[in-house]
Amino acid sequence: MISVQHFPVIAVMGLFLCAFLVEIFGAKNKFIRNTIVLIAAAGAFALIASLIKPVLLNGEIISYWMGNWEPVSGYAIGIGYEIDALNMFFALLVVTTILLAAIYSIKYMARDHHLGHYYTLFLMLSGSVLGLVLTGDIFNMFVMIEIMTFASVALTAFRNNKFGALEAGFKYLIIGSIGSSMTLAGIALLYAQCHTLNMAQISAALTNSLTPTTVLAFALMFAGFGVKSYIVPFHAPAAEAYMTAPTSISMVFSGMVNKAGVYGMIRLVYVIFRAMDLAPLQLILATFGTVTMFIGVTMALAQHDFKRLLAFHSISQIGYVITAIGLGTVLGLEAGLFHAMNHTLFKGLLFLTAGAVLYAAGTTDLDKLGGLSKKMPKTTVCFLIGAFSISGLPPFNGFASKWMIYQATYEKAATTGNFAYAFVTIVALVVSVMTLASFIKVTQAVFFGQLPENLKDVREVPLLMRVPMWIMSVLCVLSGVFYNVVEKYLLTPAANAAFNVTNYIDKMMGDGTAAAAGVTNITVDGATLSLWNPILWLVLFAIVLIAVCIVVLTGENTRGRVLAKTENDSEDGKYATFFGGEKSTHSHVAGSDLFWGFKHDFKGYFKFIQGMHSGVVSDYALWAVVATALIVVLMFVFVH
Amino acid sequence: METITTILTNAFHVLVFPGLLFAAVVGLLLAGLDRKLLARMQRRIGPPLLQPFYDFFKLMGKETIIPHEANRKAFLIAPVLGFVSLIVMMLFIPIFGYSPFSTNADLIVILYLLTIPAVALIVGGSASGSPYAGIGISREMVTMMAYELPLVIVLLTVAKKVGGDELVFSMQKIGDWQAMNGLLISHWSLIPAAIAFLLVIPAEVGTQPFDVAEAETEICEGPLVEYSGAPLAMFKLNTAIKMFVMTALFTFLFLGGIDTGIIALNALIFVAICAVVTVLCMTLIHAITARLKIEHLFKFYWTFVSALAAISLILVWLGL
Repeated sequence: MISVQHFPVIAVMGLFLCAFLVEIFGAKNKFIRNTIVLIAAAGAFALIASLIKPVLLNGEIISYWMGNWEPVSGYAIGIGYEIDALNMFFALLVVTTILLAAIYSIKYMARDHHLGHYYTLFLMLSGSVLGLVLTGDIFNMFVMIEIMTFASVALTAFRNNKFGALEAGFKYLIIGSIGSSMTLAGIALLYAQCHTLNMAQISAALTNSLTPTTVLAFALMFAGFGVKSYIVPFHAPAAEAYMTAPTSISMVFSGMVNKAGVYGMIRLVYVIFRAMDLAPLQLILATFGTVTMFIGVTMALAQHDFKRLLAFHSISQIGYVITAIGLGTVLGLEAGLFHAMNHTLFKGLLFLTAGAVLYAAGTTDLDKLGGLSKKMPKTTVCFLIGAFSISGLPPFNGFASKWMIYQATYEKAATTGNFAYAFVTIVALVVSVMTLASFIKVTQAVFFGQLPENLKDVREVPLLMRVPMWIMSVLCVLSGVFYNVVEKYLLTPAANAAFNVTNYIDKMMGDGTAAAAGVTNITVDGATLSLWNPILWLVLFAIVLIAVCIVVLTGENTRGRVLAKTENDSEDGKYATFFGGEKSTHSHVAGSDLFWGFKHDFKGYFKFIQGMHSGVVSDYALWAVVATALIVVLMFVFVH
Repeated sequence: METITTILTNAFHVLVFPGLLFAAVVGLLLAGLDRKLLARMQRRIGPPLLQPFYDFFKLMGKETIIPHEANRKAFLIAPVLGFVSLIVMMLFIPIFGYSPFSTNADLIVILYLLTIPAVALIVGGSASGSPYAGIGISREMVTMMAYELPLVIVLLTVAKKVGGDELVFSMQKIGDWQAMNGLLISHWSLIPAAIAFLLVIPAEVGTQPFDVAEAETEICEGPLVEYSGAPLAMFKLNTAIKMFVMTALFTFLFLGGIDTGIIALNALIFVAICAVVTVLCMTLIHAITARLKIEHLFKFYWTFVSALAAISLILVWLGL
């Protein structure tokens, strides 16, 4: 009987091992290939899921020293894995994403070539992200970041026969490498200062001893994780990567790769540096988050490609997460974690529906799609659930987490008396409405509206592609309705783990280390959430719905007569200007341009922001470097 | 026995008062009042007060025609969806202290529920597959983005005023606070916010000059162009109820502390205030203005109305 502390490392190694097995044994044979991938994904899922009981329910912390290299006279010399509720939370997100993406890939990728390579890279990516969130060693984390970045680059460019794929991969490579280098530089500085790479030990060593060097290290790692979570201004290559990668990989990117960045950020600010009680740092994080959510959503409003639009929404939603975790309150951190989880679910779902559309119709160009709800009703339902979730309509999960974020930001504003947080709340609420509007546009452009002539033969996607979509849809609804359960069993333990660092240090470095180093816990009061009762809401909704249905059904003419198709119905193209992406000669508004009024009033802003997204990689690299410099300056001016 | 009583009371709340029946009747009455007074202001005789009822029942009896291009299910479900969310919202707005479910609602919930009827209109129009509807939903969407900013600021202002240094989004507490400290409208720092809210109401309901989405003279009622029979009746009813819900929200937020102790009398005063608000912010403005263009509407809300709301927010933050 292998004891439970071996499970995490087995899960990570299993994924890496299978990555090579797939290429060796499965390069030619479809069946062997799929079996290996599914076993790896399901195995990782099962191993992590079996840790729920000890870690989340019993509150234990699991530590594991590779090769049994335990600390010698108080110094960690081996690589250690340490699983508390915080990385457990993210590990659950990661393994869920891996499993669903693996199931989805089987049918979705069936038409591509060189699938052995694809699955090798996919499993490498999966293993690296899982390793990243589970490890307790900061250099091991960097290694995982590198594997993650290069697997992502290769997967972005996987369909290299498609226009722009190689270019997107190249941009990702440049910006990703800048991020990794920042992280590495930060780690090197930390190692020089603390003579250890173990996160728990660094945390203990840094207590009450912030030197200029460690502040610089903090700023560099902050920028590094910022790149990995694609916050503005590091976001530009992410949009193209999401767009050109195979959709199963886009889902993996938004579901776990940028969550890895968020995890790194939380680990950095809450655990390693325990800097979240510094008011300026809170404001810096909240500012980055707010700018990210606004720029992300406005760029999304201007998009004409389904996947690119989703990519910008992904960036925007991460802005919410960063804002919330930046508040430094329990409610804020819980809200941020909850939104991160919900983002994994609904954005994964939306990418899968986009993949289904691409699979069935062959394009994701919003101007060329339309009316697919008649041909793909099941995909449409899944899409609507995802769209309502991300827009935060009650009772879906996006509502619950955004509601917590509004509460947290406004509470922060009230308790600190800082008007900036009230402004953040306003922006967050308005961005949410813009998200809703943007998804209505997608609904109209892809699933409703008129069916183009060349899409008459579109068929619903195969069952194996629908299963992951249904699973995510159900999870979206459940986590919205029973958000209290999620909060109790997932969010509260994770937030507690982030605030109570002493347990983390003591478990790894031996009891009393934390106390000796002067580390104190931040006392945590549970977040109070009581005003929103989704079950009552659903019951009310159901009662009224039933009443209405009875009234409607007793009426006699409610069945409705469907008009027969007449000769001149939309065939002669005279309505095309109302639907198409092209402007016609007598009209200054294109039919598909649903936000014309908004864009017209903000044309200066849109011109500026679209000019900024020039598509030139040196521009993006410049932003990244300038932003890093800015972060360094901010840290020295305000934090030090 | 006790459970049966609870179920019956709750069913009464949902179906009769303050839910389905009450909301529908008052909503249609307000719509009738609006039409009658508008006609008088334009020196017409106008329809009788009960005309919206006659319209509703007549439409219910008419044949429903579904266009060939439409997505049948979404086309038929959309009006019901909007209707249901409006009724649920009505249940969460306390009528001068009388509130069956308001302990479970807060301002954010209300804010999101308010978007659902607009979304229902957009989904319905979008599902009809008509080019006119396409333009209509585009305008409806921009209108929604336009009024949402001032609305958000107004609600946060109220929350700050009532909460002080702690966070209060609860509807119940806003009512209690006003009963203790006087109506919110009597605090001068909130008057700009109240005016901003009054200006949000016509855009939310979609009356002239903010009816760009339905502009019947240019795009044939936009999203509603393909609707007929019962679904159209439903949408008309939704507009009427939306009038009541929005004015009720105003009445509750800014005049919420009135209590005579008798529920029936309270409800009567409540409806009377709603009627006054309707006349003030919808009929009067309707009678003296012409329809705006969508880009002007957007600019109006994001500059003038938002500025009014923001003035209040800043004043409240300064402790005034």
